[in-house]
Amino acid sequence: MNDPNEALVNAKTAADRITKTRRLNACLTPPKELRASLVQQAAMAHPSGVLYGMPVAVKDNICTLEFTTTCGSRILEGYRSPYEATAVARLKTAGALIAGKTNCDEFAMGSSTEHSAYGRAVHPHDKTRVPGGSSGGSAALVAAGVVPAALGSETGGSVRQPASFCGIVGIKPTYGRVSRYGLVAFGSSLDQIGVFGRSVHDAARVLSVISGRDARDATCEDRDPLRLPTVPESLQGFVIGVPREYFPSDLDPAVRRACDRAIRMMRDLGAAVREVSLPHTAYAVPTYYIIAPAEASSNLARYDGARYGPRFNGSSDVRALYRETRGQGFGPEVRRRILVGTYVLSSGYYDAYYRKAQQMRALIAQDFRNVFDRGVDLLFTPTTPTPAFKAGEKVTDPVAMYLSDIFTVTANLAGLPALSLPIGRIKGLPIGGQLIGQAFLEDEMLEAAYALERVVPAAGEV
Amino acid sequence: MSVSREEVIKIAQLAELQVDEERLPELAEQMSRILDYVAQLAGQTSETGKPFIPGPDALRFRADEVKPAALAFGPDTFAPEFRDGFFLVPKLGQFGDPGEPE
Repeated sequence: MNDPNEALVNAKTAADRITKTRRLNACLTPPKELRASLVQQAAMAHPSGVLYGMPVAVKDNICTLEFTTTCGSRILEGYRSPYEATAVARLKTAGALIAGKTNCDEFAMGSSTEHSAYGRAVHPHDKTRVPGGSSGGSAALVAAGVVPAALGSETGGSVRQPASFCGIVGIKPTYGRVSRYGLVAFGSSLDQIGVFGRSVHDAARVLSVISGRDARDATCEDRDPLRLPTVPESLQGFVIGVPREYFPSDLDPAVRRACDRAIRMMRDLGAAVREVSLPHTAYAVPTYYIIAPAEASSNLARYDGARYGPRFNGSSDVRALYRETRGQGFGPEVRRRILVGTYVLSSGYYDAYYRKAQQMRALIAQDFRNVFDRGVDLLFTPTTPTPAFKAGEKVTDPVAMYLSDIFTVTANLAGLPALSLPIGRIKGLPIGGQLIGQAFLEDEMLEAAYALERVVPAAGEV
Repeated sequence: MSVSREEVIKIAQLAELQVDEERLPELAEQMSRILDYVAQLAGQTSETGKPFIPGPDALRFRADEVKPAALAFGPDTFAPEFRDGFFLVPKLGQFGDPGEPE
């Protein structure tokens, strides 16, 4: 049994730290409201829970009863969900404290947390840079030491990319490992709730609690919760594949050096390392940017000023209500993606775009199967092509922004588990390395991450 | 692939999305760039290729029965206008083309 006062102490500490780090604009919940809720939650948390007293921040596209759920959008300003996500309910049952809602790109569409209606989130180590996105607020809070863990969501890398930029661990589970009930839908065939942690163990503990079957989500597999592996002494017996397509000639030299060092260390730990090929990797980003906007244009049709959130004029006619509410309630990136998604699904273009993208997605998934079928256990790659970029650098160039997801979108398209962990720094900016595992073999991926984490100088310059 | 101003207007109408007149050229340019970028898939797949669908091999169906919604509070709390069990919206004007964006 845990110390019954621990939750209250942790609640007050988390509330103090969130107040002190307001400059990050990472938490959307007002400090007073957050403090009151945390104290109340601490009083109700059960000391026998495996996460008793652990403050866990939650991305603002995951439904909670304690706080508003705005998805970083004006169209849901002030919205309170009448139910909570399965992942959130499981955290509370395990004794965790929901430590506020975190800033994100609107409806999780973005890679920098600059596309939030509530202002951009700031990188915790360099205020001129972005924390990544779309779950940038969650990543910034964990990296700043405000909370030990946070929930984010992944559609194309929105946990791993900010984890890499902020120097923490980010895990995207297999599609179907964690219930999506209460995760606001963006791209339903891609979306997954993911986890941030200061360490592999912190993130894995939270993932274990939120995973497992859920009758409320038909895409959630009928499996037991993830069992945590032990920390291995070595990587003897592991075969690590290094896909050549993830190390292009224009890769940032510091990222390459950090990855080379991590690969050497895995070899020193006893792993066999093989170069492999995933030949359709170059088509992953264009595939993603057809499928995700297409699904988004359908999922976001429900925001029309009739059922949720505020209305924006348009009182003369119901269609004017829809058009004006959506036109004014959605920000520029969401509007752009809805238009692109509507375009690729429209009559005459469906075969040219959407069907092609679905076929390419199958080829990308087959690439992974081919490699795993030849005895490779895990893949190791950089998480991002560069460290965190400057705020404003890519915000007006959508395609440049999309390319920052180039090493992460493949795991979403193939439905595979993947994680990012810090493997070094360049001029103080963190660099992340990515492990991609086989479907539902998160335990193997976590074993390798535990081993690498123990030896890699994550805070050291490369 | 070049998207015209008229195509943006047509797509915006399909998406029930108001687009300001002055933003149309920028949107047309950005959509053209995005569609040019994703068009690189052309010719890279076979016509008979099967799509990839993630998730369980067989969907589990629930019994088709009405159960009370487990909501902490009702839609009168979060809907813009709600009365007597109904969401209130303005009347539907006409089914015709809603016309150019304002």
